[in-house]
Amino acid sequence: MTTEKDGISTAESLRKTRTYGKFRCHNPTCMERLEPKKGDKTIKCPTCGMEFRVAWVKDGFPRIRGPVWDVNRKIAQDVLEKKLKDKAKEEK
Amino acid sequence: MPLKRKIAYIDLTTGDIEVKPIPIEVRKKFLGGRGLDAYLLYNHTKKGCDPIGPDNTLMVSGGILTATCASATARTHVMAKSPLTGLLGSANMGGFFAPEMAWAGFHHLVIKGKAKHPVYIYIHNGEIEIRDAEGIWGLPVTDAQWAIRDDLGDQEVKSMVCGPAGENLVAYANVMTGIKNSGGRSGMGCVMGSKNLKAVAARGTMDIKIAHPVEALEYNKRFIDQIISAKVNQTQGTLGTPFIWGATNSWGGIRCRNFQYNQCEYADDIEPERIDEICEETMGPYHMTGCFGCQVHCRAQYKITEGPYAGRYDEGPEYTSQGAFGGETDTPRANTVLVGNHLVDQYGMDNLETGSLIAWAMELYEKGILTKKDTDGLDLSFGNDEAVIEMIDRICYRKGFVGDTLAKGGIQASKVFGKDSFQYLIQVKGMSNLHSDERATPALALNIATGSRGSDHLRSRPAIDLYHLPQDVLRRIYSTPIPYDGPLSSEHTEYIGKPWQVFWQENCYMAVDCLGICKYHTTFLGATLPNFEDWPKVLYYNTGLDMTPEEIWMVARRCNMIERLFNLREGLTRNDLEKGDMLNHRYFDEPTRRGAPEVVGRVIEKDKFIKMIDEFYEHKGLDKDGNPKPETLKELDIENEPSHLV
Amino acid sequence: MAKALYIDYQKCTGCRLCELVCAVKHDGISNPTRSRIKVMKWEAEGLYIPMSCQQCQDAPCLNVCPVKAISRDEELGRVVVDYDVCIGCRSCVAVCPFGAMNFNVIDKKVIKCDLCDGDPQCVRFCDVNALEFVSPDEISIGKKRDAAGRLSKAGREAGVLLAEL
Repeated sequence: MTTEKDGISTAESLRKTRTYGKFRCHNPTCMERLEPKKGDKTIKCPTCGMEFRVAWVKDGFPRIRGPVWDVNRKIAQDVLEKKLKDKAKEEK
Repeated sequence: MPLKRKIAYIDLTTGDIEVKPIPIEVRKKFLGGRGLDAYLLYNHTKKGCDPIGPDNTLMVSGGILTATCASATARTHVMAKSPLTGLLGSANMGGFFAPEMAWAGFHHLVIKGKAKHPVYIYIHNGEIEIRDAEGIWGLPVTDAQWAIRDDLGDQEVKSMVCGPAGENLVAYANVMTGIKNSGGRSGMGCVMGSKNLKAVAARGTMDIKIAHPVEALEYNKRFIDQIISAKVNQTQGTLGTPFIWGATNSWGGIRCRNFQYNQCEYADDIEPERIDEICEETMGPYHMTGCFGCQVHCRAQYKITEGPYAGRYDEGPEYTSQGAFGGETDTPRANTVLVGNHLVDQYGMDNLETGSLIAWAMELYEKGILTKKDTDGLDLSFGNDEAVIEMIDRICYRKGFVGDTLAKGGIQASKVFGKDSFQYLIQVKGMSNLHSDERATPALALNIATGSRGSDHLRSRPAIDLYHLPQDVLRRIYSTPIPYDGPLSSEHTEYIGKPWQVFWQENCYMAVDCLGICKYHTTFLGATLPNFEDWPKVLYYNTGLDMTPEEIWMVARRCNMIERLFNLREGLTRNDLEKGDMLNHRYFDEPTRRGAPEVVGRVIEKDKFIKMIDEFYEHKGLDKDGNPKPETLKELDIENEPSHLV
Repeated sequence: MAKALYIDYQKCTGCRLCELVCAVKHDGISNPTRSRIKVMKWEAEGLYIPMSCQQCQDAPCLNVCPVKAISRDEELGRVVVDYDVCIGCRSCVAVCPFGAMNFNVIDKKVIKCDLCDGDPQCVRFCDVNALEFVSPDEISIGKKRDAAGRLSKAGREAGVLLAEL
């Protein structure tokens, strides 16, 4: 193992799976790959509706700067309300 | 050869120093760094010893690869019985100290006893000297280091010091080197303070012959390319660790107001990019710095821009400071985070523990368990920036009732505060939880519940669990070097397969800590970073030690088991809320209220959680109570501990 | 024209990997005192400055050497020490204005940067490009461009200020 030179390891082979220019939606159950256009400041996830502010680490390398607070806050509040209602119904 | 670095036993009571080689069979069994430290701790402390008494033993070490031609192997490990938890105390830090100690001829120090007056240890090219530290005692972290350089007349000296917090026996005081490299967590600085040991200083110019230098150099290049091509490390190298806080807060995985919320809303002022702007404004476009030999350069430089500390230089703030002084206390203001970070760096105390306990005290204040009378008039309300900064000072210098009490650590403090205060304390094994909220992520909850040094993210966290990696990728990572054909789930809210992931990560992190490699260079935040299969080559080319991935895995398992043995000896029992593998009831009872849709409304389901622990024990070779099975000890060749091989 | 080692110390992160690979490349040994390049640090201010041989045209080390052991290698643009001739008197160490001529106390000989015979390992490993191996005229062109950029920005800002008056 140690003297063998050319073999590549699992970690090295996984390098091929990296994608640049895209990021994943921060909603962990959604994880949609989003691809902002150059210079975009916000992006809305087409799948789950969450909205994010975009920052650029460098050209071709975007990342999520943070949520668009008002939008995502509203989504969270609606979900929580519904879940609490459903739970109350269950308990009845 | 790297393997010729020695071990020194230093008795501060008598001043005796004994230097010994490290036998090769010990290296093969424990490698070095944290693993060998754990073995030494188990062998050189007695059951039930007083953590701040002379009988506690402090281990200082570098990894087996430290100061070889392997990138990012600058980690210094420190270990002793913890004054905070009464169990395993263990802290790992970057910087430049461990390599310097290696060039001075030593890989491991075993320090026992207590000096009659303040001293520091100076290690220089094979020699060890105990020197007077009267003039250095009391100095903050960086001043102490510069004073030692002046005392020795050598600006290249690197030292590892405890700050005022350690001297004042704050139970979670750090050991520190450089500006902000901290052996945080579990109070190793407190152990130094209790021994009247202000610092360990090192300066070395001795050769470390590389076993196969040409191959080592070329392989190091390949290793570095693998590491810096990862997106996560490029982001890290641009924004530093704050990027983790930003992402986690975005979906709702950050504790806010102690444990009442799982997201700090409208935290724009402490977002990674905002912190980066401040660094750029104060330190210019090239404001990132790194530890010895590392190309990730994840540490930012900054100056404080306003208030009484304006103009002070520091490094960081890491995401732990954002969580501790921004999120948990609900004070998401950049200046509070930057000042808080600077103060704990200079005082030498754990930012994470400090912030967590302040947030806990704030909740107690909100609930009326603490009153203005207890706080000497300080308004300890959430969102009060001044109170956060003031409390850091009070804890370090043990001022006032609340400051002095919090300095004892959470569990001790809860006994003083009384009422329901313990119910609100977010801790495992007496150590405060990281600022992250694990209610939506059972794998991470299992990690903090079972971490060997208490609640901690750096002992077994499967952080990549949040990336929803495809099944085949997960399978490829988690079934090497040991085949695993049990279930694995890409879903972070799931409970199945997670115990194996935590078990795998526990071994992975132990292995890097033994080798001396930084966790950003392995499967921690990035799925494509080197692990077991990649390390044998680095080890062989640099040290000549020929080991297979499976053998390194076994070393990691063995060392983890020694840590477990130590904890069991000091009283760990499975379901004990103070000393066991169990979470605070709030994880099971209080649903999350913020964050992404599938994060909202989540609790950890207790029955499933208990089953996860059962399964985790099974993987580790423990019985249902968490004690090692005899056959496990036999398999790991540690049946007769303590065996005193070194 | 032979290439030169160009150090942009603003970019240096202070990691000292250059020191490590230099020592390993030349001696097969990890030991920064064996390194030909050395990062000088003012940690309290966050300043890191790599120091190495400038391969001077009118090199003081070459001029001072009493046995003429030091010469210029025009092909690779470097100043080299002939160890068969060198007597180890350290006059070159004393005279070097940059402290770039080192004395290795283990092997008892002077050491200096030899540009790794045209493939400097420090440059190869420096991911942040604080170290570059470039043609000397490129250095000034690059710096000119940067300075011109700053001037034009300053000019624009001054124009805006004037217009606001």
